[in-house]
Amino acid sequence: MDAKQIITACAAGLILSVTTGHAQMSDAGDPTDFAEDLKRGETPNTDGEINDPWEGFNRAMFAMNGVIDGGILVPSAKVYRSLTHKKQRKGLRNLLANARTPVILVNDLLQGEFKRAGETASRFVVNTTIGFGGMGDPAERMGIPQHSEDFGQTLAVWGAPSGPYLYLPFFGPSSLRDGIGAAVDTTADPVFWLRTDAARLTGYSRAGATALALREPLIEPLADIEANSLDYYASIRSFYTQARKREIANGRTNFEDLPDIGDFEEFDEIE
Amino acid sequence: MLNAFKRTITKSALTFVLVAAAAIATPAAADEAAESFVQNVLNEAEPILELEDQAALFEGIESLVDKYVNMRRVGFFVLGQYARQMTDAQKEEYFPLFEEYATRIYQNTMSNYSGQKLVVTGSNDRSERDIIVNSQVAEPGTGDGLSDTIFHWRIYRNSDGEMSVFDAGANGVWLAIEQQSQFKSVIANNGGGETGIQVLIDQLREQVGG
Repeated sequence: MDAKQIITACAAGLILSVTTGHAQMSDAGDPTDFAEDLKRGETPNTDGEINDPWEGFNRAMFAMNGVIDGGILVPSAKVYRSLTHKKQRKGLRNLLANARTPVILVNDLLQGEFKRAGETASRFVVNTTIGFGGMGDPAERMGIPQHSEDFGQTLAVWGAPSGPYLYLPFFGPSSLRDGIGAAVDTTADPVFWLRTDAARLTGYSRAGATALALREPLIEPLADIEANSLDYYASIRSFYTQARKREIANGRTNFEDLPDIGDFEEFDEIE
Repeated sequence: MLNAFKRTITKSALTFVLVAAAAIATPAAADEAAESFVQNVLNEAEPILELEDQAALFEGIESLVDKYVNMRRVGFFVLGQYARQMTDAQKEEYFPLFEEYATRIYQNTMSNYSGQKLVVTGSNDRSERDIIVNSQVAEPGTGDGLSDTIFHWRIYRNSDGEMSVFDAGANGVWLAIEQQSQFKSVIANNGGGETGIQVLIDQLREQVGG
């Protein structure tokens, strides 16, 4: 069994454990009815309510990730920062983003976003060639900005509701839909299908490098949020849910969905 | 399978047409008064955000927040449905603590953008009393990552037409909404109602070190 298979197995086991865990935790409706949970996730949250029926499980995973984060990831990210220059780190982030392009391209196409698919393909060609294998981002300067796509977003475009909030070990905040999407995305990566030592090594190194590259710029912002939070778990859940909505809408912000300021008449009496 | 796919496509196309039609029929109007209100606040903030001394910077931000942010209304908003369950005694305890807490969040957040000049780029009214004003960095430096960021200001207009800042956000992520999520979680996980509210107040006091 190599790392990918282990991760896939873990993901499958996790989804199973969530299902069974959910059967014990939830007291609303048919406890094993997944469709019910998905549907509840669809309810527009005009009052800013986040659908989190698995809060117990999620908080446990959040605590576990916190231990890994504080014990391994943040110290490693600090070492990484001390050993590299800002420009080198930017280069690595570009390189990793470029390596993810095939996954983005597949999802652009699955969503019928052909113009964006064309941009993704052009970015890959430009950055891989004159961008030195993806270290630089000349495509951005040529007016082809980067955008993200993943299978969770594709499912959303196809009409799948997000389902309950799901905090995944190692991966962090997600939702039932996006967690499934993330598992599917790993199979859209060419490296996933190569069964050689080199591919395995590439996979490991890339996972490690991605973790460092993503964590390093967030050392201070996340520490800030944690220090100022009364409930760090709820903070992250809210930030993630809000940001994810905009990502799915391809950067368009929907102001109509915001929770209302409050009953004007009632509050007018207070002032 | 194919039929289901076709149906989905047809449905999506139909939805798209409907949404587009709705968008054309009722464009969210811009609110020029709210835009100039925000631009004035941003102009006033500009020299403050250039202060290098952190104490002076924080003091400057605090005075801006005091002057423009509607703490009373935000304070109620972040309690969600629990706002109605708060006793008068709790309100008296809660508001000064909340104000201090929220000011600190503004200080931490805004100081990250020191030295940036923001300009208003447009607005969107949710209602006559609830307007979103958008702004962006005026001269984005290369590679600072802020050039694509849209900073939002949610403006509240009271029944007398006076405006105040209700919430601030960046790229669709809002501060007061995040605070509401936290506060409701703290209250709900600590017994809800008056009991939960009291736990929230105690935690706020601990957080602001009072």
